[in-house]
Amino acid sequence: MICDDDLGILEVLEMMLELEGFQVYTESNSTNLMQQIRQNTPDLLLMDLWMPVLSGDQLLKTIRTSPELTSLPVIILSASVDGNQIAQNAGANAFVPKPFNMDDIISVVKSTLQN
Amino acid sequence: MTNENLIGSIVNHDIYLKALNSATSGIIITDNKLPDNPIIYCNKAFEKISGYTYNEIIGHNCRFLQAQDRSQEERRILREAVKENRECIIEIRNYKKNGSLFWNELIISPVTNDAGETTHFIGVQNDITYRKKVELEIREQKENIERKIVERTKELEDSQAFLASIIQTVRESLLVLDSNYQVLSANSHFLNSFKVSEQDTVGKILFELGNHQWDIEALKMLLTKILPTNNPVIDFEVEHDFPHIGKKIMLLNAHRIEFEGQYKDRILIAIEDITDKKEIDRRKDDFLSIASHELKTPLTTIKGFVQLLEKMVPDDSSEKFRLTLAKVSQNVDRLNNLISELLDTSKIQSGNIEIHKELFEIDKLIHDTVENLTIATPENQIALKADTDALVLGDELQISQVVSNLISNAIKYSPDSKKVEVHCNRVGNFVKISVRDYGMGINQQDQSKIFERFFRARHIQKKFPGMGIGLYICQEIVASHQGTIWVESEVGAGSTFSFTLPIVEK
Repeated sequence: MICDDDLGILEVLEMMLELEGFQVYTESNSTNLMQQIRQNTPDLLLMDLWMPVLSGDQLLKTIRTSPELTSLPVIILSASVDGNQIAQNAGANAFVPKPFNMDDIISVVKSTLQN
Repeated sequence: MTNENLIGSIVNHDIYLKALNSATSGIIITDNKLPDNPIIYCNKAFEKISGYTYNEIIGHNCRFLQAQDRSQEERRILREAVKENRECIIEIRNYKKNGSLFWNELIISPVTNDAGETTHFIGVQNDITYRKKVELEIREQKENIERKIVERTKELEDSQAFLASIIQTVRESLLVLDSNYQVLSANSHFLNSFKVSEQDTVGKILFELGNHQWDIEALKMLLTKILPTNNPVIDFEVEHDFPHIGKKIMLLNAHRIEFEGQYKDRILIAIEDITDKKEIDRRKDDFLSIASHELKTPLTTIKGFVQLLEKMVPDDSSEKFRLTLAKVSQNVDRLNNLISELLDTSKIQSGNIEIHKELFEIDKLIHDTVENLTIATPENQIALKADTDALVLGDELQISQVVSNLISNAIKYSPDSKKVEVHCNRVGNFVKISVRDYGMGINQQDQSKIFERFFRARHIQKKFPGMGIGLYICQEIVASHQGTIWVESEVGAGSTFSFTLPIVEK
């Protein structure tokens, strides 16, 4: 599952992951994310930080406090200066700064899934 | 008594005559009954004072001593005294036989007979030229001094008015306090900035101003604790929320007057309101931060699609196609670096730059950095010498950024020379890393500015792209590692940028 308010990023990430053989769900509206997660039960979530209405760290806190989702692996992607810090504080499994390398994304996704 | 009798009686009195001739004052006797009151006797001293002989004197009226100097006020006094038969003392300008002036203190007294008629006048003369001269000099000096006092007072008033107008004109708040922190004066900028009146300010204790609005802990500490032992205090930052005018950030200079005299122990305080400046800085940093974040989002997408394209290049595609794609990728990275630098700058400004300090070998770091650059720009010759075997505590990534930034600049600003030298040496407790080029060089004036944020030398502005933040970032990084960075350069001969880092002994 990928959540980002920028449709371009959503699209490029979807293509990258599909190229590697992953089944991908995308969501650009952060308010729909929790419902989408419950509906599609993804193995991993890739999520942006700065999104309108609900921010990535807010959503991450909700996930971590939901009993059935608390162990869902989450990778935060951000171009923000203090993204890494915020991601760690909110309980992310990994952080990848934007702009990212395709190879980095794939390897972080794979290693997070393995753990 | 007739004249003959009078003279006879004097002449007969040998002893009186001798006494008169022994006197140092000139003495004459005139006959008031004869026309024009002629001199009928003079003593030796009178001859000496006047320079005339006895024979030349007898028979003349006294006025012959006045020569042509006939307009003196004293003549009138003398004439009236003679007319009214009374005594008088005057000081009058007289002239000797040789024409030279002497001041004559003249005392005349009438001699009256039994019938009450004035028969004679006795004149006693003293040459007071010397005394007059001294008196005149004293008077001139006094007048001179008085004139100077008037002039100096005027000058003082002028300069005080001048100073006052300067103080009222400056765009900075100025306060003068006495040693008890009572406000002696406040300039108009202070009154306007803090919206107070002069009556409510002057004569009040600073901390009690405006219902204790100025009872500021940091200000108290500055005046009571810091200033007594550190004088003057420059750029002391105070932040305070004033009830009426809101939050102000102020930069204070305080100066306690130490020289002896009536101003001793007075305190001058200059207050610069930097609230707006700080706010502008903050907004600029916010802007840079937001702008670079927003620019990075579409860039991420472009970069992602380019990488996808690279993965999807068919095996039989032409070399030209692959090269074109590689160029796109390179330029996306370049754009990304530019944006990152902007972001770094705003991080540094807001103090958010993270330093992950670890021990590392500086030689290896420089070797690796140079190697990466050599791969990227194989056409340049980077000569390297680094064998210090020194350990440094710091952020490897950031130091590498500094080295590669300096080498990139060396290459960029040496379009006609491909040679760059990188040296790393031990200098006392520091390692010194120098990057030397043989390029265009930097003029003296620009050398002091090139480490400033957004500074770009005028003549390179159009020839070489850049935003003027690379060296600024280098300087900030080096400073946060307790090192210094500097440049030595000569126009046309090239530049050497050097920086130091403290060594951690093994």
